[in-house]
Amino acid sequence: MIRADIVKHYKTVHTWTGISCGLALFIAFYAGALTMFQEPIARWASPPAAGVAAVPLDDADRLLELVVAAHPEARKEGITLHLRGHENEPARVTWEEDAAHQEGQPHEHVHWWATLKPDGTLLSKQEEPSELAEFINAIHMRVGIPEPWGSYFMGVVSLLYGVALIAGMIVLLPSLTKDFLALRVGHNLKRMWLDAHNVVGVTALPFHLVMAVTATAWSFGGPLWSAQESVIFGGRQKVVMKRDFERWTAPNPTGDADVMMSPGQLLQRLHAQVPDFEPKVMIFKNFGDKAAAVRFVGAERGYVGHTSFGGVMLSAVTGNLIKDNRASRQDPDRRASTTIFALHTGEYGGITITWAYFFLGFSGAWLFYSGNLLWVETRRKKARKGREDEQPRSTRLLGSATVGVCLGCVAGLSLTIVAAKWLHGSVADLNAWHAYIYYAVFLGSVAWAFAWGAARSAVHLLWLCAAATISIPLTTVLALLFPALGMWAHGSAATIGVDVVAFIGALCFAWMAIATARRVRHGPADSIWSIRKGDDHTAHEPVAIAAE
Amino acid sequence: MAEDIRPDYWAKASAGAILGLGLALSLVGLYAYLGPGGIDAPTGRYSLMRHLEAFVWIAVFGLCFLFRSGRAAWTWLGAANLIAFAALFACRFYFFA
Repeated sequence: MIRADIVKHYKTVHTWTGISCGLALFIAFYAGALTMFQEPIARWASPPAAGVAAVPLDDADRLLELVVAAHPEARKEGITLHLRGHENEPARVTWEEDAAHQEGQPHEHVHWWATLKPDGTLLSKQEEPSELAEFINAIHMRVGIPEPWGSYFMGVVSLLYGVALIAGMIVLLPSLTKDFLALRVGHNLKRMWLDAHNVVGVTALPFHLVMAVTATAWSFGGPLWSAQESVIFGGRQKVVMKRDFERWTAPNPTGDADVMMSPGQLLQRLHAQVPDFEPKVMIFKNFGDKAAAVRFVGAERGYVGHTSFGGVMLSAVTGNLIKDNRASRQDPDRRASTTIFALHTGEYGGITITWAYFFLGFSGAWLFYSGNLLWVETRRKKARKGREDEQPRSTRLLGSATVGVCLGCVAGLSLTIVAAKWLHGSVADLNAWHAYIYYAVFLGSVAWAFAWGAARSAVHLLWLCAAATISIPLTTVLALLFPALGMWAHGSAATIGVDVVAFIGALCFAWMAIATARRVRHGPADSIWSIRKGDDHTAHEPVAIAAE
Repeated sequence: MAEDIRPDYWAKASAGAILGLGLALSLVGLYAYLGPGGIDAPTGRYSLMRHLEAFVWIAVFGLCFLFRSGRAAWTWLGAANLIAFAALFACRFYFFA
């Protein structure tokens, strides 16, 4: 049995850690849920391309030779050959080149793609791919605050989030058998919300613990790395890391030319030597050289692990396995590290886990939203007992902040997704516009929420969320009906899935808007969720003055 | 029966935040030296260590409110830090120098 005084103190700890990081965590979880479908969203947002299918895999060796002849500098960075034919892969091969570099600016890359014209000659073009998915991911990681402060801020938030989880468990433990899974729906609204908050928090606890630990480790990644180097390794970390990295890097070019195996042959050699590996892309390094290598990026069947790191490397001349970093061949420390990584990103268990994480992400966002509401409701009770008619300023402000930040994030993300189709071709730098639109909607919503108060603005902003989200499938329908608009509607299951999920999401927001509007008008008047309170409040004020 | 614990939120929280990080670095550092392969093992350990540090940091920060008072939190965690760092630096500068 946990002593009552301990529970009492931990309740305070849970409340204040939760309140101080709840809003940032809402954004991180909502945007994080969307990143589970990062790839479908990127495909939805990518204009129709020259097409991977346009060049059959059997002609890919010819395409590679033409690319290398016309763009010899691409050999060193590596030329990527796409194997799946998704809409966000503009052509069979793509590569990056260094952009013109200005002193003091970070090094940047430009993106190229190449395909074969019908007459068999080379068509190559520099074109920047849609970075919509990366933008959503940046919002997820740093809630929209620029580097490096965004990372430090989220590091503190993640640390407090971990503390809030432990505190919440200690508070709930004594009454766990009584309260857990007891959802008391009834007149006591606060009891019901608290029950729901508890059941969502406890059932998803392992998920949340993983998120708190990994997010703390990554957000403080740079400082922790430096601390390890100076306190623990004393300069040896760089050396160890370099030796570890040698496992992934391609051998240096020799300068002597040799004959390359064709991509089809190399795939056969891969399947013969590493049967359980499912590649997504092949990356050719130093194409044409005697030491040319091809790295296969993908996942190993039956293993938890993320796909961007690791993989297998074959010699492009002999097809022999030269580097093997698939999950089953990693050292125990790397294996543990990649497993923890995958537990955060949900890169295991296929589509079931992807959907599970999607809903867990929303449930997390809801957890922080409901936590803020509980704080507001608790304050309301206290205010009533003290016979104060006016709600305390703190609850009004937190109510407005909760509405503005949460709904502003939702509406901003939906609108910036829609913009990928509407603004394509009409603005010079679409990727910058994704940011402008998001920040404008987000900051505008926050300002709106403070100007109109939580009750009124919640209804307005929920309708805005519904409208912004329904625009995603509507845009696709418009593109189908009016090709003259210059937009596109992909037919793949993944992109149609984006439209369908957005449609269902919009219906949910509309339902919430209707329910909130009802409560605003007919709910208890002594709540921040009522517009009647405002009228009462103005009526009471003269009375209060008269009483003095 | 022990007397009620004092709230001392700021004293305990600062102990958890600062000494929790110290304990995380020193304990994980000991794993780096004493774990399989030792400090020079060319493994992905440096990558795993950050997650272990975050775990210890959160655990210490989260549980430090169980101390009887802020002073007790600073005393006990400070002593644990001293021992762990002494062991880490013994490894780093003496046993595996």
